[in-house]
Amino acid sequence: MSGFLNFLLPWLTSPAQWSGQDGVPNRVSEHIFYTVLALAVAMLLALPAGMFTGHTGRGGFLAASLANFARALPTIGLLVIIVQGMGIGLVPPLIVLVALAIPPILINTYEGIRSVDAEMKDAARGVGMTGRQVLFRVELPAAMPLILLGLRTAAIQIVATATVAAYVGLGGLGRFIFDGLSRQDYQALAGGTVFAVLLALVVTLVFMLLRRLLVPRGVRLQEKA
Amino acid sequence: MEWQWLPGHLDDLATATAQHLQLALLPVVLGLIISLPLGIVSVRWRWTYPPIFGIANLLYAIPSIALFVFMSQYVTGLSVVSAIIPLALFTLSVLVPNVVDGLKQVPDPVRQAATAVGFGTLRRLMQVELPIAVPVIVAGIRVATVASISLGSVAGIMGLGGLGELFQDGQQRDIPSEVFAGIVLTILLAFVCDVILVLVQRALTPWSRARKGAAA
Amino acid sequence: MREDHLITFDHVTKRYADGTVALDDFTLECPTGEITVFVGTSGGGKTTALRTINRMVDPTSGRVLIDGQDIKEKSPAELRRGIGYVIQQVGLFPHRTIRDNIATVPYLLGWDKAKARTTAMELMQRVGLPASMAKRYPFQLSGGQQQRVGVARALAADPPVMLMDEPFSAVDPVVRAELQQEFLRLQSELHKTIVFVTHDVDEAIRLGDHIAVFRTGGELVQHATPADLLANPADDFVASFIGRDRGIRLLSFHTADDIALHDSAVVPASATRTDARAALAGVDGEPWLLIVDDARRPVGWLSAESADAVPESGTLGDAGLLPIGNTFQVGVDPLRSALDSSVLSPSGRAVGVDADGAVLGVATQADLAAAIRAVAAGDLHPHALDRAGEPDEPEPAGGA
Repeated sequence: MSGFLNFLLPWLTSPAQWSGQDGVPNRVSEHIFYTVLALAVAMLLALPAGMFTGHTGRGGFLAASLANFARALPTIGLLVIIVQGMGIGLVPPLIVLVALAIPPILINTYEGIRSVDAEMKDAARGVGMTGRQVLFRVELPAAMPLILLGLRTAAIQIVATATVAAYVGLGGLGRFIFDGLSRQDYQALAGGTVFAVLLALVVTLVFMLLRRLLVPRGVRLQEKA
Repeated sequence: MEWQWLPGHLDDLATATAQHLQLALLPVVLGLIISLPLGIVSVRWRWTYPPIFGIANLLYAIPSIALFVFMSQYVTGLSVVSAIIPLALFTLSVLVPNVVDGLKQVPDPVRQAATAVGFGTLRRLMQVELPIAVPVIVAGIRVATVASISLGSVAGIMGLGGLGELFQDGQQRDIPSEVFAGIVLTILLAFVCDVILVLVQRALTPWSRARKGAAA
Repeated sequence: MREDHLITFDHVTKRYADGTVALDDFTLECPTGEITVFVGTSGGGKTTALRTINRMVDPTSGRVLIDGQDIKEKSPAELRRGIGYVIQQVGLFPHRTIRDNIATVPYLLGWDKAKARTTAMELMQRVGLPASMAKRYPFQLSGGQQQRVGVARALAADPPVMLMDEPFSAVDPVVRAELQQEFLRLQSELHKTIVFVTHDVDEAIRLGDHIAVFRTGGELVQHATPADLLANPADDFVASFIGRDRGIRLLSFHTADDIALHDSAVVPASATRTDARAALAGVDGEPWLLIVDDARRPVGWLSAESADAVPESGTLGDAGLLPIGNTFQVGVDPLRSALDSSVLSPSGRAVGVDADGAVLGVATQADLAAAIRAVAAGDLHPHALDRAGEPDEPEPAGGA
């Protein structure tokens, strides 16, 4: 462990690493930008679809098949072919990032709403709530843990995919890895890796915080039981 | 897209696929061999689960390419093994939780009955708990296999073999049809392996067929 | 000499880390070859006590002995292979066929596979399961069938001791009654030493040779035979636990041996109106006749008015008869059945028959009342209260 740190220390402490386009701060912020953007778009597409299929119960098989299918897709292959088709830039890799993030959000939202206690839904309807009210006031809060899990999985997936996207010209932390690889600058490669892992950890922590904030206390306590 | 590259290179496609199979399946086997004892330990001594689970997830968060580079640079050189070991470590994040979940979902009355009729702890594990956990474990193996096949394509960029080489070559020489072929083959391979695993599970566990709708 | 499989609890206490006392200085003997039922409120310790026998629970202090030998002298697994264990949720192994489930302990004991399988098939028959089910899996069976398999599995290695923890509680009442019946039949053939836990006091009374009543806190309140429990509950807790109608339920434990029977009111169907009038003259109380067939089996009740309505030339068999309701087999059926017969008959009289169903005689309600008083005097109130309300020294039991 200490050997590894010794290995990295010169690279980490060198000022060149901390300024300019190729510096850590810039790459990290680029990476965060891609992650947030892709997650937002994916959420916009997948959350409503997941809520709809979960609430009505239709299309579940489709959602599951989609998730399974997406798992098999080779990230690099997709990135290469989309850039070959659409050219280099932000949008082509972003499409792949979004596409790969949709399945976890979709399936977890669907599962989350589906698995809400049928009796609870029944009671809600019996009290006089409309379908939409049942969805937003009962199912969504109860499904929150699974939905957040889906979002977290998607976010980590995007962080990892964005790293790989550097292969087809995207910025971000992946640049350290692939540029380092081609230059045989293994310190840069290790550095990029470390920050990518740190970013994934930060994402996990953020979601733990979100869980605290967004999941109603009663649901959280019930989960522990 | 122009397709003329394809017909002349069917041999290469076949080789790459065969290589990829080895590249992706061995890690799952290896991962299973590691996950089973880890999972058993996690269930028996509950406090070990958070650290084990944390480490497995941490491993998964490491960009695959970094591990492949690390292995090929410092440990096992430019061979398939450099891809197999990282891929095996990646499967842990799926297999360990599935082994744990599989063992945990063994109904408590069954476990109690097994102890009460006189099964010792080890025998109970081998003859009762693990067999009942098979469906959940195989579900994990399916996910791990598909993920391994998908992740394994990154190894190709490093020159470690497999279908990923099609992506690298296709990108460098600008042959979209080659990349496309690689994508299709990857998906097909994953699909076939998944179906085989489902059949294997059905054959191994004839008793789990109608579980969901069965009498209590 | 038959081996003794007496189960002895010797000052067994079970205390948990949080202070809960599951068993409090519990001492009891469960006789060989008989069914002892542990019954009581939840938290009373009955299941805990049961589970100390096969070491699923280890006592905090005290010993448990089987046939005089401390159970701790064997390894737990070895001990358990010699004890049959049946639980409420059955716990069949879902991944094994019915036959292999039943043969579990024989396999564990290293029996020859063929022998184990044959034994399993025999047991299937014994518990009333068709042989075609041998290769099926538990999920294909109903709850009642699964529990039969559970019992068969417990019996497979022919253990002398059986422990049963609310085995019939998870099935519906009809199936439960069947299972209880089968269980009693099996026990009459096998004579195992059985400890049976239930929260249902009626089940306890029906199945037990001895009953131990537990109160919350792990306290043994009473240990008695079912009849004795009904007749003399140790305190208010036991009395209220037993519930209502315990006097009437007590009548189930006494056969109406020497109940008075009259046959003057019994008349064959072939008799005429004149015979009827003659018979009625000799009847005290309500004017009813019991009409019987050639084999002296009861056909129906005939009132005086209906007798008069019979034409001169006709037989009583043609008259409008009222149905019997119920009969009781004299010397075999309990007093409770006689009471039931009397309630259901339009004449208020109980119809006593023999083993072939032929009428031996009829008992009036006065006769029944006398029989009931005899039971009360014999069983109940062994302790007279003195003027201060304290029980006296027990008097010798005797008729009134």
